[in-house]
Amino acid sequence: MLSLPELQARFAATMFGDTTEASTPWIQVAGIAPELRLEIYRNNLQEGFTRTLALEFPVIQRLVGADYFRQLAVSFLADHPSRSGDLHHIGAPFAAFLRGQFAGTTYQYFADVAALEWAWQECLVAEDDAAVDLNALQAVPPQDYARLQFALRKAVHLLESAFPIMRIWEANQPGTSATEIIELDSGAEFVLVHRVAGGARVTRLSPGEFALLATLARAEPLEAALDAALACEPYFDLIDALRRSFELGIFARMSFPS
Amino acid sequence: MLPRSAQLVHTLSPRSGERPPEAGPVPAAGIGLRAQHHAEILARRPSVAWFEAHSENYFGAGGAHRAQLAHIRSHYPLSLHGVGLSIGSTDPLNTDHLQQLKRLVREFEPVLISEHLSWSSVGGRYLNDLLPLPYTEEALRHAAARIGDVQDALGRQILIENISSYLKFECTEITEWEFLTALVRESGCGILLDINNLYVNSMNHGFDAYSYLDGISPAAVQEFHLAGHTLTQRGGQDIRIDTHSTYVASEVWELYRAALQYFGPRPTLIEWDADIPALSVLQAEAAKADVMMEPFGAIAA
Repeated sequence: MLSLPELQARFAATMFGDTTEASTPWIQVAGIAPELRLEIYRNNLQEGFTRTLALEFPVIQRLVGADYFRQLAVSFLADHPSRSGDLHHIGAPFAAFLRGQFAGTTYQYFADVAALEWAWQECLVAEDDAAVDLNALQAVPPQDYARLQFALRKAVHLLESAFPIMRIWEANQPGTSATEIIELDSGAEFVLVHRVAGGARVTRLSPGEFALLATLARAEPLEAALDAALACEPYFDLIDALRRSFELGIFARMSFPS
Repeated sequence: MLPRSAQLVHTLSPRSGERPPEAGPVPAAGIGLRAQHHAEILARRPSVAWFEAHSENYFGAGGAHRAQLAHIRSHYPLSLHGVGLSIGSTDPLNTDHLQQLKRLVREFEPVLISEHLSWSSVGGRYLNDLLPLPYTEEALRHAAARIGDVQDALGRQILIENISSYLKFECTEITEWEFLTALVRESGCGILLDINNLYVNSMNHGFDAYSYLDGISPAAVQEFHLAGHTLTQRGGQDIRIDTHSTYVASEVWELYRAALQYFGPRPTLIEWDADIPALSVLQAEAAKADVMMEPFGAIAA
């Protein structure tokens, strides 16, 4: 008789396809072959995984079609099975998986689109930290601005891609008919995913704004962030960019290095 | 803070603001809470006795769904129903998962907390499904100890639900109802009796559903579940799959009536988790359960 750990290990091995062992004497036949019984569970596993992945990556599903998405999901499941009792987390390695799958092909932009969709998912469930408003900045003496550090809110995600991922994302939202032709070589895009009342929003950033926020996100001071922004936009308007960032509620707090 | 008095077991009555629920058992039909109904529930405040949420759907640190659940909780009693704790697994108990559940329990003060008589992970890989246990002495000792650990961590009793299954293990020694009864005795848990799962298993595995009812202690049963299932075929044989995608079957309603006779009225949940219909459809199913409970002294929502 199999012990409980052995029985669970064998069951899982047949579900994940680790074994080609056809014999399953540990399951009662009772009118239906054990393999057909196991097939019900294997189907539950693959369907549940695929359904959750499709809810997390609706744009990728729309780009590749439901049938191919299911095939992708099943091979992704083999490489990256769920590691949690909460299925939400399965999407975390999907962008990296797609990067590997489509490296060097015309579909390499899928990985960046998936990264945007995952940022959206993470934004939806991120901690509810409050945004600081512009008044807090006005309380800081101007001579101290250079040393100022900004912590971004937990829901904020910054993405850059060599492909027009935001246009692709927008053209593939529910209710849009994707008739627009998007040239994949139409230039890099810089994207902010952030929290709004009741959900998430995707906002396009200029290269300078992206450099500013990405530098601040690494806990570097405003001076370094401004340098980074000016390096890609010589006429970068810091005051304008900060005002917009505060309006979008990007910052959780400001501080000086200790 | 939500009133602690809401924790009275068996006490599931609509709340008004911060007013604690009426004292004494008020079993009534509740509805499985799905995110697509959040806004409607908050806007319309439908007459529903209580809601049951899947714990894992609210494990995120924040966001709109959690905020909506808090809002719903301020108007309705809530039960937390877990699908991912993998209680029967021989992997170590997932302490992160348990901590997340603890955080939800602290924040939402559910009237009831439940999980399944199942396992869903091994070697760190999760199948995120409700997989059956063999009904053996070894599995009993294991499951009872794990339920004990969960109850210790949460500081309160949990209910364990019978699942639908599509196979039986050769090593199984006792019936499911004997296993459940022993589990209650060993761990001190209560039973969430899913009438649909009981019916599905009685048909899939060819046992008498009434013997099952007869074998369970009425004192242990604290909640009923009702859901829809699908009849399909494998290898030329009928097999019933627990899909939660349709109306409660007439045979299941019939068995529910018998369960009410055996156990008396209990909080009864209408579960519908796939192809989710309008809230009004779920309310109509709940009303049906309320009507059936009435002759047994229940107070309808």
